[in-house]
Amino acid sequence: MKRYDCLKLLASMLGPKVIVVTNIGPISREWNALRPSDANLLQVNLGLCAAVGMGVAVSLPHRQVVLLDGDGNLLLNLASLADLANQNLRNLVHIVLDNESYEGGGGLKSATAGRADLAAIARGAGVPSASVTATLEDFENIARRSLNDPGHHFIVAKVEKGSVDKLPTLTLDGKEAKYRFARYIESTEGVQILRPRYTHI
Amino acid sequence: MEAAAVDAVVDGLKKSGVDFISLMPDSDFSVLQERVANDRYFTYVPVSNEAIGVGVCAGAWLSGKRPALLVPTSGLLVAAWPLTSICMAWSLPLLLLIPYRGDIGDAFWLMGPYKDTTEPLLKVLNAPYSVIVKTEDISKAIVDAQGSTISWQRPVAVLLTGETIK
Repeated sequence: MKRYDCLKLLASMLGPKVIVVTNIGPISREWNALRPSDANLLQVNLGLCAAVGMGVAVSLPHRQVVLLDGDGNLLLNLASLADLANQNLRNLVHIVLDNESYEGGGGLKSATAGRADLAAIARGAGVPSASVTATLEDFENIARRSLNDPGHHFIVAKVEKGSVDKLPTLTLDGKEAKYRFARYIESTEGVQILRPRYTHI
Repeated sequence: MEAAAVDAVVDGLKKSGVDFISLMPDSDFSVLQERVANDRYFTYVPVSNEAIGVGVCAGAWLSGKRPALLVPTSGLLVAAWPLTSICMAWSLPLLLLIPYRGDIGDAFWLMGPYKDTTEPLLKVLNAPYSVIVKTEDISKAIVDAQGSTISWQRPVAVLLTGETIK
């Protein structure tokens, strides 16, 4: 199963207001090509995609949040699975595109190429719904079911290494991503995030 | 930490508009942690390490919350990684409250190394800080630090020492 094909299917299932937080690396580039939107928070560094996504999902419980994580990103900070589970979220679909390698870092194998089973770890951490899929048909069914069922869902999609040719270059850095995402939240949530009035001095 | 200091911290957090607290459980802040955990005014997210806490607060701020992270002294070293890879790289604000163990007067030998690491690390991380020794100064220090972190879009810390963490 190719990651790009999974993401293409997923993009076709999401409404425009679904917030998507993505791992840094090829996932960000592919997702940006398939679903360009200020509702995306792209390029979250290794070990932190689940943590940043937790902050978003807890803060906006009425918004659906999808995390597009990588096996290497999640493995670096597995405790975030336990902390996420304890939040009893009703608005989170956490998808790990598991290519069993550090593709963005040169392609060496990750622990999931050996004996590590991220879905079993998630279940052990208390995540109520955790599944593994290795075919596009399964992925589509599980993703659609998860998106339509309020809760905290964890899906491991076993994918091949490698991306597609001629992806557009991702020209966004973290600072621009911050402003775009925060402005988007301001406009859709009616809150002020950037440069709020501050009068104590 | 005595009750008056806990009251002063909570007062400062509320006056400064903080409405979201993440923390790693820690003996120096345990009474304070229990207080904020049971105060419905705050969205409360306990975490298993301080790096997760920085990430959670980053996501919360981007989603319209006003977060603060309670960081055990040693945990600042764990938090240094996302304070760099997220807060520095994205220019994000974050209010850090840190018990300053290992400051002069702290008799526990194991805390000694944190005198060498805490302030230099905050400087390297481009995170300005105040060192507060009197309980009466806590609330205003938190309000000032929160104003500065929002204005400057970088982390700002309040280090609590002396009578404030007795």
